[in-house]
Amino acid sequence: MTDRLYLRRSRPRSPAPRALAALLVCAALPGCAKHDAAPAPAAPALPAVRYEAHLFAGEIAPPGATLRNPHAGDPAVARNGAQLFTAMNCDGCHGGDGSGWVGPNLGDGRWRYGGTDGEVFSSIYYGRPKGMPAFGGTLGAEGVWTLVTYLRSLPPPPDLPTESWQ
Amino acid sequence: MPRAQLTAVFVCLAVAAAAAAVAAPVVDGQWLMPSGDYAATRYSPLAQITARNAKSLHPVWTFSTGVLGGHEGQPLVVGDTLYVVTPWPNVLYAFDLSREGYPLRWKYRPEVSANALGIACCDSVNRGAFYADGRIVYNLLDGHTVAIDAATGRELWKTQVATLGNGETTTMAPLVVKNRVIVGASGGEFGIFGWVKALDLSTGQLVWSARNLGSDAEMRASPGTFKPPYGSGTELGTSTWAGDSWRTGGAPVWGWMAYDPELDLFFYGTGNPSPYNPEQRLGDNKWSTSVLARRPQDGALVWAYQFTPHDNWDFDATGAMVLADLTVGGRAVKALVHFDKNGFAYTLDRATGKVLLAEPFAPLNWARSVDLKTGRPVLEPTTQTGASRGNVKGICPSLEGGVSPASPPAYSPRTHLFYTSTNNLCMDYAVSRANFIKGTPFVGVTSPYLPGPGGYRGSFIAWDAATGRKVWEDKEPFPNWSGALVTGGDVAFYGTLDGWFKSVDARSGKELSKFKVGSGVVGNPISYLGPDGRQYVAIYAGIGGDWALLAGDTRSDDPTDVRSPADYVKDIARHTSQGGIVWIFGL
Repeated sequence: MTDRLYLRRSRPRSPAPRALAALLVCAALPGCAKHDAAPAPAAPALPAVRYEAHLFAGEIAPPGATLRNPHAGDPAVARNGAQLFTAMNCDGCHGGDGSGWVGPNLGDGRWRYGGTDGEVFSSIYYGRPKGMPAFGGTLGAEGVWTLVTYLRSLPPPPDLPTESWQ
Repeated sequence: MPRAQLTAVFVCLAVAAAAAAVAAPVVDGQWLMPSGDYAATRYSPLAQITARNAKSLHPVWTFSTGVLGGHEGQPLVVGDTLYVVTPWPNVLYAFDLSREGYPLRWKYRPEVSANALGIACCDSVNRGAFYADGRIVYNLLDGHTVAIDAATGRELWKTQVATLGNGETTTMAPLVVKNRVIVGASGGEFGIFGWVKALDLSTGQLVWSARNLGSDAEMRASPGTFKPPYGSGTELGTSTWAGDSWRTGGAPVWGWMAYDPELDLFFYGTGNPSPYNPEQRLGDNKWSTSVLARRPQDGALVWAYQFTPHDNWDFDATGAMVLADLTVGGRAVKALVHFDKNGFAYTLDRATGKVLLAEPFAPLNWARSVDLKTGRPVLEPTTQTGASRGNVKGICPSLEGGVSPASPPAYSPRTHLFYTSTNNLCMDYAVSRANFIKGTPFVGVTSPYLPGPGGYRGSFIAWDAATGRKVWEDKEPFPNWSGALVTGGDVAFYGTLDGWFKSVDARSGKELSKFKVGSGVVGNPISYLGPDGRQYVAIYAGIGGDWALLAGDTRSDDPTDVRSPADYVKDIARHTSQGGIVWIFGL
């Protein structure tokens, strides 16, 4: 049906080629999403990410509740993730730069299903109710971590909660 | 006469009367089908409300549907029952209009998959139900058609017609002709292989299925029967697509259907070709962005006309096809009138599909005119798009259309005028290559909108389809997204995106009444005669549909999804937020 476009694009999208075949190869090869061997520069400090963490009954986390992103904070992986975000059609639901479309805004620093790396990983890998497909099958763990790294690199806007017309 | 025979005759008469009521315009004050009648005129002959007394229209009843999605579509009134279908989760409410406060007789809460919310491109909308033979028939978002006993609310049958995994959802209102329930699927943003299907009204069994593109056999286009008004040839549904791009070519069906009992043809429009990047599907891409005429009995394709060949602006043609008998150039014509997303209003001969006239009803610059000899648009070279053309700026109208197909027009046989909402938006359009991954969006465009020329963003107009000219225009500050209603009292009704419900003089456009209904209006007004013999007008409030995506700041329900206002409607959330409400107005 109708109409979808990405109304607000705070950052221009990279014009890099987006051939699916290349990406699937990327997802299949462990080295693909790796950055250069040189040590990564210190990541700029990001605003605190706010989210509703899941509560653990008895304050005991289940096994596997904590997953660690092997690429956390790596800007080169984040750049690959930005390409993957369009190539896998994530932008078709979440908008350009993840700014929100039929699916929720992923750049506002707020997360429906939790905003730790592991929780975002689970959302993409296994999918979520209300229409988020499971991408673990097409992307594999490495591809999903690449996307997580990209999403976590999006800086939340500074003054989000208040919209004023005065 | 023996009593049994007498009863049989009586039943026969009653059935005949019911059949006549369905085929003829609404004369008895009911609203039995989405567009009011088979001709899709949205005309009510009721004349108690007039230009003289409309100023005293006021709300007499409201009901919160409890659902926040975009409330497109319209209620039905059958006897003394009002039926309302909500957006997903597609609850069906039946209200008893004969009792004070209109209490529910029953409500039906179907099992419907939440996965549909991620496959529906543009919010969780539903465009309404159809009443036939004691049944309320409608589509659930997740690809099922249901028939519900209109008296008891019991589910009579439920049939899967569409597959979420293929990118298909079902937002349109079915058409029921004789014993056929005709349905189609959305999914032009998911590279579906578009179709229409007919189910048996009694059983829900599939009777026939026909593609809108693909091979002649799949399209039910056979030589001798299928006669397109322009050009000829076979296998047009594959030969007008590069390679096998038709397999993922879209051409969804999510709008309105009309039926002409004399020609025994039903008419419907198809949506955009997939993906948006036209360079991945060179050719005319038939029969996307087209009107198709088929026989309801077997689905045979009789004619088809393409409004926007090789669409490269997302100009779906799923808007209503309104059937009216007009005098065009001194000649009496059985016409089909269509306000297209592409900004042209078309008057066609509905027996053949020939274009009689096509004139702009909204600002447009993608084409200069429509050549009536060939039926093709005369294109403007600077506003064609494609991945190799980069960011093409300032195209009008925007991909929201000169009017949204979700906002159907009305036609009055008294004024001989058509009434429709319009949008006045333009766009930049940067296409990039899209990857087809089944069950995910197949789009590939970045297209910010801009307000169109003239300092307004939408309007409500009266249009003379016999001459192709605008008769009057009421400008609105926001894009206008409601359907239209016109009545025998020569009053036209519409709602606005910022939440006003208005009545205007159908002859002059002069505003007669307005009321703020609590949320932006994207639904369609209807009129009916209540059990008390009085005329009422019903409308849904509940902003959504595309506006759930475009104006994400009108949402307040999800603390984890907060969005900035869109540049071209920065102020809409100042005036409205989401929330479904049914309103009834009376004198």
